[in-house]
Amino acid sequence: MGMSAQDKMLHVANRLGLTTLKDMQGTTRMVYDSQTTAALTHTFFKGASQRAFPLTNVGANGNQFQVDEALLVEKIAFFLPSDATGISYGGLSNVSVKFDLVIGNKTVIKDATIEFGGEQAFWNDGTAGSCVLDLEGVGILIPPQVEYYVVAKTYDCFTRAAVSVRLGCYLFGTGALLNFNTTI
Amino acid sequence: MANQVQKLSYVDAKLGVGLPGQQTTRVIYDSINATAGQGFYEFFTNFAGKTEFQTNLTTNKLDSAESMVIKSIQLIGFFAGSPTPASLSDHLNLNITVGNQVVLKDFDPSFNGSNRGFSFDRLHSGYNNADNLEVRLLTDIVIPPQVNFKATLQIASGANVVLNDDITIVLKGYGRIFSAGASF
Repeated sequence: MGMSAQDKMLHVANRLGLTTLKDMQGTTRMVYDSQTTAALTHTFFKGASQRAFPLTNVGANGNQFQVDEALLVEKIAFFLPSDATGISYGGLSNVSVKFDLVIGNKTVIKDATIEFGGEQAFWNDGTAGSCVLDLEGVGILIPPQVEYYVVAKTYDCFTRAAVSVRLGCYLFGTGALLNFNTTI
Repeated sequence: MANQVQKLSYVDAKLGVGLPGQQTTRVIYDSINATAGQGFYEFFTNFAGKTEFQTNLTTNKLDSAESMVIKSIQLIGFFAGSPTPASLSDHLNLNITVGNQVVLKDFDPSFNGSNRGFSFDRLHSGYNNADNLEVRLLTDIVIPPQVNFKATLQIASGANVVLNDDITIVLKGYGRIFSAGASF
């Protein structure tokens, strides 16, 4: 039987010496960041503490989780903000994305692509092309207080030419929230 | 890994809830009739004057022998603004608090709104509706008996909300209701 998401979180946390993560509140968590200035290359989450809702949901901690909070990334997706406000957004629409995910000083996903309309072997979303990459295996853990970011480049999925677009990214998976198990 | 039945039993036992109770599927909901421009909503805190179709609770806690596991969260919006109504498929920020503890933090369920190709959950991604979305959680979150809970929602398109727009939150999952197990 494969390892569960919770098992992997606790295994990695234990290896990192995070002995109290097992006592924290389990949750489903997602973080997103969006950049509403069109560009060929986007770096997400780095500097996100300078942005506010609805551009991002990371808050003042920016691109690291606070003590005893973590996210096991199980899905990564990209989206296109509709305008400079970042309120509305849509699917990738013929745009594909090539990206790296970096946690700490380590590249944990390298030159991966989300090809617009990919994952159709699994996707059950009517006529919409998938913009989501499901991570193989159990997922990748972003531990507490370790910086993470995503570098993404966009291109036309047909011509393979670089295209300048607004872009957003979310990381979704099983999480842990700080839970004081004692009165303070 | 514990399933939801085991987790509910575990948490209830830790909290000293001894009665076995009747197992059930529990659905609780609350809706808020908005004022113009309202961007922030607090659910399960005010039940005054609501009909049975606006909420099925009368207080923001489950009864003394009742508890449930939140497995999925549904948001339903009725937006009549013109020319641009508010929408649940624009960015959202949802927090759920049980007791004094945040159990779902800064979550953006709007990615499951409409079939734009980046839903978290393929089970629900084929339903193309910008104002009626559901997210299946990866973790089991327990609402124990007699513990206050609430949900807060910030919607990015709040400026487009008009008087009498309506937002409903529905929490669904496995639960227990009172069963005396003996005649009174």
